[in-house]
Order: sequence, then C-alpha cells, then structure tokens
Amino acid sequence: MKRLRTILLLAITVVFLLAWAFPIVWSVLNSLKTDKDALAYPPKLLFEPTLDAYRDVLFGSGSILPNLLSSMIISLGTTIVTMVLAIPAAYALARLRFRGKKFTGFYVLATQMLPPVGIIIPYYIVLRNIGWIDTYQGIILIYLSFSLPFAIWLLVSYFEDIPYEMEEAAYLDGASRLRTLWRIIIPQVRGGIAVTVVFVFLNAWNEFLFAVVLSGNTVRPVTIAMFNFVSVEQTLWAKLAAVSVLAMLPVVILGIVAQKHIVKGLTVGAVKGGGRR
Amino acid sequence: MSARGQVVFKDIWKKHGEFVALKNVNFEIEPGEFFALLGPSGSGKSTTLRILAGLDAPTAGQVFIDGKDVTGADAAERDVAMVFQSYALYPHMTVAENISFPLEMAKMPKAEIAPAVFDAARKVKIEHLLDRRPGQLSGGQQQRCALARAIVRKARLFLLDEPLSNLDAKLRLETRVELKKLQRSLGMTAVYVTHDQEEAMTLADRMAVFMAGEIQQIGTPEEVFAKPNSIDIAGFIGNPPMNLVQAKYQDGDVFLGGHKFETTMQAAGSRDVVAGIRPGAIRLGGDGLQSRVDLVEHLGDTAVLDLDIGGALMRVRVSDENVPKEGDTVAITARPQDIHLFDSQTRMRLS
Amino acid sequence: MASAGNTAATDVAGVAYSDFGHVLAQRERRFATLLLAPAFLALLATTTFPLLFLIYTSAYRMDLSMPFLNGFVGLENYKVLLSDDRFWHSLVVSLVYTISTVILQVIVGLALALFVMNMKRGQGWFRVIAILPVVLSPAVVGMIWRTFMLAPEFGIIDYLAISAGLGSKNWLGDPFLAMVSVVVIHTWQWTPFAFMVLLASLASLPEDIYEAARIDRASAWQRFRRITLPLLRPAIVMVIIMRTMVALTAFAAIFTVTGGGPGTATEILNLYAYRKSFTELSIGYGSALAVALLIVTVIISAILFAIRRGK
Repeated sequence: MKRLRTILLLAITVVFLLAWAFPIVWSVLNSLKTDKDALAYPPKLLFEPTLDAYRDVLFGSGSILPNLLSSMIISLGTTIVTMVLAIPAAYALARLRFRGKKFTGFYVLATQMLPPVGIIIPYYIVLRNIGWIDTYQGIILIYLSFSLPFAIWLLVSYFEDIPYEMEEAAYLDGASRLRTLWRIIIPQVRGGIAVTVVFVFLNAWNEFLFAVVLSGNTVRPVTIAMFNFVSVEQTLWAKLAAVSVLAMLPVVILGIVAQKHIVKGLTVGAVKGGGRR
Repeated sequence: MSARGQVVFKDIWKKHGEFVALKNVNFEIEPGEFFALLGPSGSGKSTTLRILAGLDAPTAGQVFIDGKDVTGADAAERDVAMVFQSYALYPHMTVAENISFPLEMAKMPKAEIAPAVFDAARKVKIEHLLDRRPGQLSGGQQQRCALARAIVRKARLFLLDEPLSNLDAKLRLETRVELKKLQRSLGMTAVYVTHDQEEAMTLADRMAVFMAGEIQQIGTPEEVFAKPNSIDIAGFIGNPPMNLVQAKYQDGDVFLGGHKFETTMQAAGSRDVVAGIRPGAIRLGGDGLQSRVDLVEHLGDTAVLDLDIGGALMRVRVSDENVPKEGDTVAITARPQDIHLFDSQTRMRLS
Repeated sequence: MASAGNTAATDVAGVAYSDFGHVLAQRERRFATLLLAPAFLALLATTTFPLLFLIYTSAYRMDLSMPFLNGFVGLENYKVLLSDDRFWHSLVVSLVYTISTVILQVIVGLALALFVMNMKRGQGWFRVIAILPVVLSPAVVGMIWRTFMLAPEFGIIDYLAISAGLGSKNWLGDPFLAMVSVVVIHTWQWTPFAFMVLLASLASLPEDIYEAARIDRASAWQRFRRITLPLLRPAIVMVIIMRTMVALTAFAAIFTVTGGGPGTATEILNLYAYRKSFTELSIGYGSALAVALLIVTVIISAILFAIRRGK
C-alpha cells in the first residue's frame, strides 16, 4: 500500500515536471537535429546531434545575428535609461517627505493599468510623424511605459529596507543629500539594483506587441525575426528551433541567476505583473 | 582645550500636529562639558538631540552653537558629530573608510586622512580592525568604530544617542568608563542622551531631566540626586527609586504611618504632602516607625527590604549584616535632611 | 510638519518665530522634485499623454488607407462599436479566455504548490523548472507550441492524439480546438507563476498551527479547508488580480499561435483593437476599441479590488 502510494506520487511528479519541461526540452532537441531528422515521423528521440542548424541561423544567409544584436541593443538601452530614471525616483518615493507623495506613488502604479494596445496606437501616430518608427530611440522610449513603473516599485521596496540613520549619519558627516544618495545609499541597494536590472532586461527582451508595430529593417528583434522561419509554404524546423533556443537562452540564464528573487520580481506592486503581455 | 561647543537652546517648541513633543525647552551647555539629556522614553530627550544635530527643526525657538544661530542650518553645516544608537555604520565600507568618510566630506587633503584615521582608531583601540567591514565586527567593536567616526573630525560637538544601549551589561560598564576618559582627554563638548539614570549620574558633569516634553530640572548629578525638583524626578532617579508616600505635614514635622519625623522645613501650619525618603537613607532601629518586613531581596553586599508601613510600601537598602527576616518587625528612622517634601497637588518640591 | 508650523508661530507665548521645520521640509521637497521629475516626465510622456491622445483619436475617423475620409466624428466610433458584432464577440472571447485561464492557473498552481510543499525530496526540481516558462517571451512560447507541439502530423500533441487513436486534428484550424489551444498555452506558461507565489506563501505559514490542528484532530481535508485556504486567501486573491489583468491584455502568444483565427475564433478584444488599427489601418475605430478595453479592465479590476477589500 505504502509502496503503491510512493509510486503514484512519483508518477505525478514526473508527469508534471515533464509537462512543463517538455516543450522547452523538445525545442532544444529539435535544434540539434538535421531538417530530415526533425521531419521524421514518428518523432525521433534518438538521433545524431549536430550544430548545423545553429551554424546556419547564425552565420548562414539570413543570419539572425543582427536580430540578436537588435534585441540586445533594445534591452540594454531600455535597462540603462530605466535605471537612470528609476533609481532617483524610487529613492524619493521610498524616503523623502513631500506633498503629493501618495498621489505620485499611486500614479506610478496606475499607469500600469493601461492596456499596451492603448498606448501603441497613439504612439504609432506620433512616432510616424516625427520619423521615429523603426528607430531604437522610438522603441526604447515606449518601453519605458512598462519598465519604469515596474523598476520604480521594485526599487522602492529595496530602498525602504535601509535604516534612516544611514542618511542622518551621512548628513552629520558633512555629506550633501545628493552625495549621501550616491555614496551611502546606492551602494547599499546594489543587490536590489541588480535584481531590478535583470527583470527590466528580461521584460524588454520578451516584449512583443510594441516590437511588432515599431520594428522594421533597422530595429528587428529576434522575437520578430523568428517569423522568417515559418511560412505557409514551408517551415524550417531545425532552424526555427535553433532560433527559439537562442531567443530563450539569455532570459533563462537570467531567470536562473535571479531564482531567489523571482517571486518578488513577479509580484511587485501587487496590482499588475506587467502590461507587456 | 578648545573653547568650542557652547550650546544654547532658547524657547524651543516642537509639535507634531496636535502633539507637543517639546514644551519651551531652555538650557545652556558650556564648552568642554559632558551634558546628559536624561528622561524616560518619549520624554523629548531624543527630539532635543535631533534638533541640536539639525536632523529635525524646532517648531519655534532658536538654537545657538558658539553664539551663532543655527536653527535653520542643515546638519551638514553644523560641524557636529554623532554616535547613533544603532551605530549607523556604512555596511559597504571598511572600518577605515567609515572613519575617513567625514574627513573626505570636509575635503581634507588625502595625505592627511590616513594618519588622522589611524589616530582616531587607536584612541578607541580598533587600529587592528581597519580593513574589516562592520558586518565582521562584534557589537562592542562596531560601537568603537562609530565612536572613531565621530571623533575623527574633531567636530565642535559630540552627540551620543544612547550609545551603550546595544551592549551587554559588562561591556556597557567598561565602555562607560572609557567614554568618559575619551571625552576628558579630547576636551570635547559632549551631549549624551540616555534613559538610564545610572549612566547619566556617572558620566555627566551636568544633566537635564526631561519629563513629558519639558525639562524639569537641570543640575549636576549630585544636585539632582540630593534635591530632586519634583515627585517625578525623585521617582525616576536612584535605584531603587525614592520612597514616596502620602503624609501629613504639621509645623516642621511630617507624620508617616502615625509616626512623627522631623524635617528641615520650618513653616507653620498643616497640609497634605508627599514625603520622599531614599531607600539608602532609612535607618533601622531606635525609636522609630514600627513596620513589618514583607520581603527581603539579597543583592550580595546589600539587601533591599520591602516594608509595610500602614498599608504603604517602603523599600529600604541595608548593608548585608544583621538583615532582618521576612515577618520580623523593625523600627525605622530618618534624618531630617534626608526627608524630601513635595506638594501633592503641584508635585513640586517644598523644602 | 508643515501644518504644525502654521499654527505654532502664533500660539507660542505670543512670540513670533520663523518655523525652520518649514524650511527643512521645503529643502527636502525640492530635492525630491529634482529626483522625481525625470521619471515623472517620462511616465507622463509614455503613458498619460498616449492615453489622452488615444481618447482624442477615438473621436476621429482616421483611416491610413483612405486618408481623404479622415475627420472628426465625435462619438460615432463608439456608436458603431456598440452595434458591432465582432466587438461583442471579441469581448466574450476575452472573458472566456481570461476566466478559464485564471481559474486553471489558480487550481493547478494551488494543487501543485500543496503537492510540492509536502514533498520530502525533489522540491528543487519543481522550483527550477517553474522558472523557465515565466521568464520566456510569450511570442517564443507561442511559436514553440504552434510548431513543435501542435503542428498537424508533426507536433507532439498531434502525435499523441494519433497514437491514442483520435486521429490527427487541425488544432489551430478548428475554432473550438484553437480556443482550447490558446487557453492551454497561456495556462502552461503562467501556472508556474501561481505555483511559485502560492508555494512561497505556503512556506511562510507557521508549522505549529498545523500541529495544533492535528492535536485538535482535524483531518487533512479539514486542515486544508479551515486553515490553509483562509490563510492563503490574500495570496490567491493577489494571483487572481494579477493574472486577470495580464490575461485581458494578452497578445503575443495568441498573435503568434492563431493570429486571432481561425476567422475571429480566438480574437480577444486586445487583438481586435490591434488588428483594426494596424492590419485594417482604421486607427480611429481601433482607438475606440482600445478605450473600450481600458474601460473593461478598469471595471474588472475595480470589482476584484472590492472583493479583496471585502471579506
């Protein structure tokens, strides 16, 4: 009886783990196949692995290297601009006393209620008029609409953990407010800043709706470029798998690095996980 | 010895909305003095220190340091140093970096910083820990690091906010002595906030006793101990605290539990008073008030007796010889100069 | 601080003092303004301005394909919208999609969390694998499912269906199966989110109340109903709120997998607004649809927050 129970539990465990791991594992396996192996019926679990698909998508004609670079520029650019704006704002919201603080905090949260499609329609018109469609500045600017509220609220929670005496001690040591922030406070939230950077990067990398509308020949992130490999006539299975894996790789690495903080990152603000999806 | 660090608080008020945290606080501190702000928690002593430091601003009144009005000056402009209760060491900096931070902010030339840091660290005996981070230090070492950071700049005022309260009892006693020596040798003006009357008594040249947002008495520890201004101070200072009992005053005498005690007061007439006698000032034996011993607490070299005098409790400190037993009846007397009389309405001292 | 200052100047012994609390507060306010202004302006520019502009464009006929017809139409777009069957259909699809995915996520996530919580070994596997789906781009997830999982006679699901004797299905070509597919894909990607949040919440419940309940002879089911569920309620409500907001504006996965099709079978309101604006290039009407989506979002979140505040 006890043994049956154990086996049953083990079976449930395996089924669930498999259900969630399989689509990803299967993509990885397919990316290591030749197109012939990928198309085989019934699907092949055992095959001779090859890196041909990766070589083709990276260095062949229609290489996705420019697209990976594009994704990287968008994500890094968004991350840098977001952090530069969010760190001082989060500090002010977490620490300083001023009239309208409650309202400002609420405003930052409420901006996340806007459906992304409601932002992109007017933005498209504006960017078209100033010729910023298919430019990095255009897409990074609009990415602030979701990355900034997120980053501010996540950072606020880290700033709030620092005791007030830190600032007071620094003031008494003769430091100005700005210098206190730079020399005393920011170094103490390095961990929180790192976590925030990870999530902002991740969200920017994964964003799709804005990218679909604003991309072109210059700005063409990998999530858009992967559509090149599927068409009505034929799908390049192994290559598509390789592209998918390459698109997943950075975020999976970041996700595992930030493993311990992921619940906090996902629930920040507790109103909305992100308007980006 | 520098003649810096003179402080004047003039008519200081502090309100938080309707709540009055400080009510017309006035005092002066002389250069080189060790001045304690003593009082129970919530009495306004910490607020006073924060106003002096420039971390809070008074609602009304003026603060002068060395004759200059600094009421509206930022903390950074005041040239005062402070040791926080939590120490507030910068966790991401080494001990040396912590100590040198105020010097850097004062734009001291780099070449002079290192020797100054070492000198300050040596004064508090942590020169071997300069490369550590605060997280790697014991509580006592952290406290010393905070002290070094405060003394390194040779600020004109040295503020201490309950700096010993996070240390264990033994270390607290040792550090107390060292702190006093350090202040003496540096000749700094120190302002020291504490709720521990023993600390204030042993450290301070003078002290201000706070009760409910007001200073009730300023004086040397001896003065405050010998002549407490009010019932509240009498009950706050001394351990165990002064016995305070309702009594009847008549023509220079006071009647306690039906027994007559002579006082130093001369006034004729009769009135209700509160009589105070310190536990150590009560003598056993002779022709005195008969009372029963309810409880005996042995403290080693002394013992404290709980006596029942006509329903009221009176505590007596006696030397540890010939201690009566619980249930015994003893007679108690006190010298006239040891009996303090307070008005039971205004709670202020009469004699 | 500031309000105390206003009264103090007059009522202290009749002496007028300047209140320096005011001065300090003002300095702090200036510093706060300096720090906040850039982010605040950026948010104004990227969220509030588009919102106002959206409302503005929703009052216009704005067809990029036929610009000669453009002009102010007032509430015309909204009138059309109310009698637009495709709008009502997309609203229903949105609600079906949202409700079914949220319920599935919470139930499966909670069951998994309870299951894993009681595991003696192997918890780490679940914790790591749960991270994978939630960090992935929904577009990539959609692409993987569309191809390697669901493609007829190629995808694994189809293979399993054939093996089970059900025969090959056109998973994304049949209106009903397509809807089921997009619901399953969303549930697959986001259940780990519910799982992780609820597991963290479960792990923070004190051990001793369960021991107390055991001593009070509560059965496993009673312990779950009477202790676990009430204590977990705030976390569950939070998960529901967050997942509802995201599901209402889901885009990438559906766009990648079905594009809203076949026909309009999986066209949620969000996707309809997108298609109208950027495929059919009717920006004005698309704006009205986006405003409608915003109103729906606000109403639903108001209801959910009311539930959260209430019992």
